[in-house]
Amino acid sequence: MKKTIISFIAIIILFFGVVYFSVFTGSIDVSMSELIHGLVSGTNADVQVIKDLRFPRIIIATFAGASLSVAGVLLQAVLRNPLAEPGIIGVSAGAGFMGMLMVAIFPTLFFFTPLFAFIGGAIAFALVYSFSWKSGLNPLRMILVGVAVNAIFTSLSQTFNYRGSYTSSLVTEVTTSTLAMKKWSEVEIIVTYGTLGLLVAFLVFSWCNYLVLEDKTAKSLGFNVNLARFIVSAIAVLLTSIATATAGMFIFVGLIIPHIGRLLVGTDHKKLIPFSAILGAVLILLSDTLGRLIIAPNEIPASIIMALIGGPFLIFLLRKSDRIYGN
Amino acid sequence: MEIKNITYSYHDKKNVLENVNAGIELGKITTIIGPNGSGKSTLLGIMAKHYTPRKGNVILDGKGLSAYKSKELAKKIAIVNQQNSAPNDLTVEKLVSYGRLPYKTIFSSDKDADKEAIEWVLSETNIQHKRHETIDQLSGGERQRVWIAMSLAQQTPFLFLDEPTTYLDIYYQYEVLDLINRLNKEYEMTIVMVLHDINQAIRYSDKIIVMKNGTVFVHGDPDTIITVDLMKEVYGIDMMIKNEKDTGLYTIPIGI
Repeated sequence: MKKTIISFIAIIILFFGVVYFSVFTGSIDVSMSELIHGLVSGTNADVQVIKDLRFPRIIIATFAGASLSVAGVLLQAVLRNPLAEPGIIGVSAGAGFMGMLMVAIFPTLFFFTPLFAFIGGAIAFALVYSFSWKSGLNPLRMILVGVAVNAIFTSLSQTFNYRGSYTSSLVTEVTTSTLAMKKWSEVEIIVTYGTLGLLVAFLVFSWCNYLVLEDKTAKSLGFNVNLARFIVSAIAVLLTSIATATAGMFIFVGLIIPHIGRLLVGTDHKKLIPFSAILGAVLILLSDTLGRLIIAPNEIPASIIMALIGGPFLIFLLRKSDRIYGN
Repeated sequence: MEIKNITYSYHDKKNVLENVNAGIELGKITTIIGPNGSGKSTLLGIMAKHYTPRKGNVILDGKGLSAYKSKELAKKIAIVNQQNSAPNDLTVEKLVSYGRLPYKTIFSSDKDADKEAIEWVLSETNIQHKRHETIDQLSGGERQRVWIAMSLAQQTPFLFLDEPTTYLDIYYQYEVLDLINRLNKEYEMTIVMVLHDINQAIRYSDKIIVMKNGTVFVHGDPDTIITVDLMKEVYGIDMMIKNEKDTGLYTIPIGI
């Protein structure tokens, strides 16, 4: 219990620290008072640049990290598989591909990218789910099917990328994770759907707790396993799609964060879901900030830095702890 | 509870159960025995509505199981499954509290009734002192008692158990069986369980259902149905069957 409280306090402080760091570091340097004054008066050109370039990507990175991490938690509960993750099982790839395809065919419908992404993610998830279901979910089979589905959608997306036509400039946004040049209109999308998805995800925490029991056990408690599974999956796909459509692809975050979360705050979804959301936000935001600083003025995509920080940290925690989920 | 003409198969293959009929007497302990693959667990699963039969129906309180809503049924029947898993860091008390799920609705739950029920099952299964421990700190026997406790928290008139003694050493086996026996005697719970050990079935049951190849071979009192011929016919082994004053009826396998 004590460990849980300390972890929550630490992660919240860390989150604000990273936000502060991200706002105030970069090629433009302003002080706290200049920033506040500039935001209120709207006369400081430097502050306007920060407001238009840094703020949107900070918000988007935060929501993308939170959404993908929570999507990972939900998928692991629904599929009762510690390896399930929106990236690995192809949901992100499906969402990315469908979003990109629709934008390529109907460029005027750019604003509906999240909707198309949701459809693509749902298709990928339905494929994985139906092919890995054989009188119960077989964990190994599921991951293999997921890897295959992921490969299919990833290569479909790459095929499009190599066409080199005018569409590809629009298209790259949904296939890479670079968070540069984000606009406030995109912030609106991810904040609206992201908040909705995260809120609903938290509301179903008790369902997730019942879902990790055996199906038969949950059923004998009068719990509607199929309905809960369907709804929780839909929330996970929504969160993944919205993040993929606005921030691009982040493989791995949905795997690393929930595992770190379990080691720090335990498996109760009431704590795991909010903790993973904040931790995921911290990881992506930190990665994005470092990515734009390390080789400035060039940028390293946040997804790359994220894997570089997250991977070793997960190994470190696993070595320290003998409790591995799914054991 | 009436089991009527149940036929069931997994994936359209050969029928696992073929026209099974049986009546479960209320307030009694009924044990289902039979060789591997005879359909014991499947029958129990159908009685708990885990599976839907292809033909036939199970009638509970004058109503077919298919007509029950899942929460409604979970207040009538609780089942301890053979395989159970829970997160390692879940506490005993928390897991047992899951048994109160049938009584919860989205908007309300009766906290006092829940608390009372949980206290009752923790003391009944003798795990009060372990309530704050986590599942991975328990021994096999304790863990089985926790799962039984969770089912008891459902406060149902029917309790089903699928091989409750498997994987337990002999002390825990009898501890679990004595617990089941006490629940039946003190609270008049109707118990249906699947057991492998014939002597345990004889000792702890009012009625035995012997299954073979997906059908009910015989159904009746242990003392009258367990015979040398039956054992040979059902299990294919030679058994000595003794009935002594201080032991009651018991069987000893001799060979094949």
